[in-house]
Amino acid sequence: MPGYLYILVSLALFFIGTTGVLLRRNALFVLMSLELQLGAGSLALLTFARGLGDQKGHVVAFFLMALAAAEAAVGLAVVVSVFRTRKTIDLDGINELRN
Amino acid sequence: MNLMLHEPSLLERSAFIVLAAGVLGFALVTVTRKSAIGALMALVGSFCALAGLYATLSAHFLAVLQILVYAGAIMVLFIFAVMIMNRDEDNPIALRGLFLRATGVIATGYVFYRAAWIVVRERQSDVLSTASTLPIPDYGTVASVGRILFTDFLFPFEAISLLLLAAVVGGVLLSRPSRPSDGGGAL
Amino acid sequence: MFSLSRLHMIPLLPLLGAAYLILFGRRHSRTVVQTIATLAVFASCVVSTDAFFFGLRESVHQGGISELVYPWFSAGNVVVDLSLRMDALSGLLCLVVTFIGTLIHVYSAGYMAHEEDYPRFFAYLNLFCGAMLILVLGDSLPVVFIGWEGVGLASYLLIGFWYKENANASAGKKAFITNRIGDFGFLIGMFLLFRATGTLDIPAILDSAKSGGALVAPLWLGQPVAFWAAVFLFLGAAGKSAQIPLYVWLPDAMAGPTPVSALIHAATMVTAGVYLVARMSAVYMLAPAALAIVAVVGALTALFAAIIGFAQNDFKKVLAYSTVSQLGFMFVGVGTGNFAGGIFHLFTHAFFKAGLFLCAGSVMHAMSGSGDITKMGGLAARLPWTTRVFQVCWLAICGVPIFSGFFSKDAILDGAFATEIYGHGLAWVGPLVGGLLLLAAFGTAFYMSRLYFLVFSGPCRADEHVQHHIHESPVSMVFPLVVLAAGAVLAGFVGIPPAIRELFGKHGESTLAVWLEPAVGAPLEVAHRTEWSVMGVATIVALGGIGLAYAFFGGGYRAPAHAFAKKMPGLVALARDKFRIDEIYTAIIIRPLQALCRVVFLVVDRIVIDKVLIGGWAFLADIGGRMCRFAQVGDVQRYLAVFAIGFAVLVWIAARPATPEVEIAIEGNHVAVKLVDAEADNDDLTYSFDFDGDGTPDREGRDPSATWIYGGPDRHTISIVIRDERWHTQRTLKRDIEIRQVP
Repeated sequence: MPGYLYILVSLALFFIGTTGVLLRRNALFVLMSLELQLGAGSLALLTFARGLGDQKGHVVAFFLMALAAAEAAVGLAVVVSVFRTRKTIDLDGINELRN
Repeated sequence: MNLMLHEPSLLERSAFIVLAAGVLGFALVTVTRKSAIGALMALVGSFCALAGLYATLSAHFLAVLQILVYAGAIMVLFIFAVMIMNRDEDNPIALRGLFLRATGVIATGYVFYRAAWIVVRERQSDVLSTASTLPIPDYGTVASVGRILFTDFLFPFEAISLLLLAAVVGGVLLSRPSRPSDGGGAL
Repeated sequence: MFSLSRLHMIPLLPLLGAAYLILFGRRHSRTVVQTIATLAVFASCVVSTDAFFFGLRESVHQGGISELVYPWFSAGNVVVDLSLRMDALSGLLCLVVTFIGTLIHVYSAGYMAHEEDYPRFFAYLNLFCGAMLILVLGDSLPVVFIGWEGVGLASYLLIGFWYKENANASAGKKAFITNRIGDFGFLIGMFLLFRATGTLDIPAILDSAKSGGALVAPLWLGQPVAFWAAVFLFLGAAGKSAQIPLYVWLPDAMAGPTPVSALIHAATMVTAGVYLVARMSAVYMLAPAALAIVAVVGALTALFAAIIGFAQNDFKKVLAYSTVSQLGFMFVGVGTGNFAGGIFHLFTHAFFKAGLFLCAGSVMHAMSGSGDITKMGGLAARLPWTTRVFQVCWLAICGVPIFSGFFSKDAILDGAFATEIYGHGLAWVGPLVGGLLLLAAFGTAFYMSRLYFLVFSGPCRADEHVQHHIHESPVSMVFPLVVLAAGAVLAGFVGIPPAIRELFGKHGESTLAVWLEPAVGAPLEVAHRTEWSVMGVATIVALGGIGLAYAFFGGGYRAPAHAFAKKMPGLVALARDKFRIDEIYTAIIIRPLQALCRVVFLVVDRIVIDKVLIGGWAFLADIGGRMCRFAQVGDVQRYLAVFAIGFAVLVWIAARPATPEVEIAIEGNHVAVKLVDAEADNDDLTYSFDFDGDGTPDREGRDPSATWIYGGPDRHTISIVIRDERWHTQRTLKRDIEIRQVP
């Protein structure tokens, strides 16, 4: 399939992910949407790698995956911690860094 | 110049349409669900479809890794988290500063609209070609990607392993239950 | 050759002594300290003598010995070197400073024997000597200024030597600050001279003055540069040499130890002003009006200070006002163009005044530290040596014949009456000044004799207790006294006037005048008749003053004295209170200044700086912070949203085509539009021009220019749309044109 279609899919996926990150109230959902964004990025990388015939794009996507895993682990640990102290993960109420 | 030497076959077209629809559709479901578990399941589905897309791009190694790592490990992690917290949402969208954030979404949309326009316009460019003949015979396979990984990218590879170690340690520290003796974990 | 004649050694040795004593003086015993200090000055004296008598013999007519010690700085046209010059004038002063300095050091060993801070005193004395020698030997005005400031510093340090007493410290401050006012004058004078002649070297300036030219050019109020430079330099001299209006520090300076008063405030530092005028004689000769000012101020000061001296009851205060008065004499000397005469009096005055001060020290030493002459009397019997020295110096200062003061005062009086340098308009200045000086000489004789009679003659009016302790001073103090007395007698013989020289078969001017000629110019010609009459009148005046004082105070307070005090108590009080000049200065100058400072403090410091300039910024920072706080919502999602919006704005700005220059050429109804400076290398731009305002493009394509022909004269709006096909963005430009006429 022509490469540009893949890019359009990637853009659309990233957009959906951004919507989730910006608009949802539950911290977990935000993290999930974040994963969507990362996936979109990997897709674009791989498309261009195919187009250029260069496998370095695969390597970068590989590292992205590892990063996503690490970030998900730590992020979830943070969310769990916050839940423990505040009994909620509702982002409306978590604004300690205010002012 | 587009190096595509032939029109995509019906199989290729339908495969792409199904997979793309799956990715985007499941993603939409994820973002709009009220129940966390449901959203997670949709996310898993999205990732699987994404893996399929990777496969059509001849990125076989990564397709497999996508299933194993993302849909497998990361999603399981999420499920455990959801199980601990066990929350369902009655009001999924956060309210404070909604206007600002909605504007942010629209702004992102505008940027992508621009990006999409360029991409469409430049669709004939070399960079976006998906020629049926592979650049190298074992393009995208475990062996060839692995070769690059262990030669040119060896240092980042080792660094990533260090990062993972740090993440593991951090995760354990952060989620330790608070004991009176050490004042509540790391938080 | 003259192996010792290294000029830089002269000021250097005392300075090294000072440095060593400051740093390490405490470690040594008193004897060692005193030996080091005295040796330093004595060695300087030896070198000076060697240079003076042997070095100058041949070179005195070519400007003396000069030595470039160190090239100091050069900035653009200004080249200033640290160079010293010993010529006829500065050599003489070197001898005076080092010789009397040595004597004072010897005296101080005895006088300050009980002093705690012994090393510091001698270090400061050495410092003073070094600075004074730099002043005297300096070959360019900045070097002289270094010495000038240096002696001011040393004076301050020494006046306030016993700084633990507030009064002493205040006296030191007063001296320094008053001097500073004079220094301002010195600097302005220096700048004026530099501006006119382009150099700060004294020989070069003097040459320029002798040949006229730059210094004669008019500057302000029609007076030449030389006049103004002379006046400002005199302001500096008036500060340093305690003339009206800047003399007020000298009486207060008596708070310092007596050797200091003798050395600095009698013999050397205060003469720096006279030296400066004499040094710059060529400049002064170009401005007779300035010389007139110098002479008049000097004469007025001489008389005024003498009157104050009539009623002072402190031994040293009498001598202080006497110094002010005698300095006035010296300034009359140089102010009448009689530079040799002024310097002659400087020379003799150094000896007898220093002698008088050291006698004061001796007397106060005997009287257990008191200087109150109302409680003295009859000391002649108890202090034989001191008395004899005092008598010699007393007669010298009164101007009794044969003693040195007689010759030097007469030289000045001769010059005042015989001078012709003022020209017709100011010819009255000479006789006026001479008359004032005669009155002042009478006054000098009177108050000095009063001092002598009240202290040394008649019965002793002191307490039993004090009388018991009266004793003559030790040899270390008496020896310098005797030497100075000898000087007071002999010093006059270098300046024997021509009239008397004739009697001995020698022709021409006095030895001193001849000697000084290469440095200060030709001596004043005085008719022999004038000389004899002046000598007579001056002797009568001197004897008259002594006689009147004897009538009033011979052997103690006598009837005439009491009667006068009863008849005119106000006058006596006024004189004793120094005519309240200090109080006037306080009221007119100091109080307003303090008030102004207070106002400035309250307004500028408290309000402008603290509240506005500093508080203002703090306030702004606070407001800024408060406003920025609104953005700190603590909500990541909102931050991200702003991020996305910002990014979108940037993309929007970047994606549009750049604005080109629109050049519109109108010929009749023919219009050519050309877009210049657009993105030249961008192939994706298309242009569409709408000329007739109907909304549809009339010209389209890749060409950034288009032409159109209008139907008739009208106002039109041309609308240009630049489209970027790649980014799918566009920019619209509108221009209004007017078609005037159709050909």
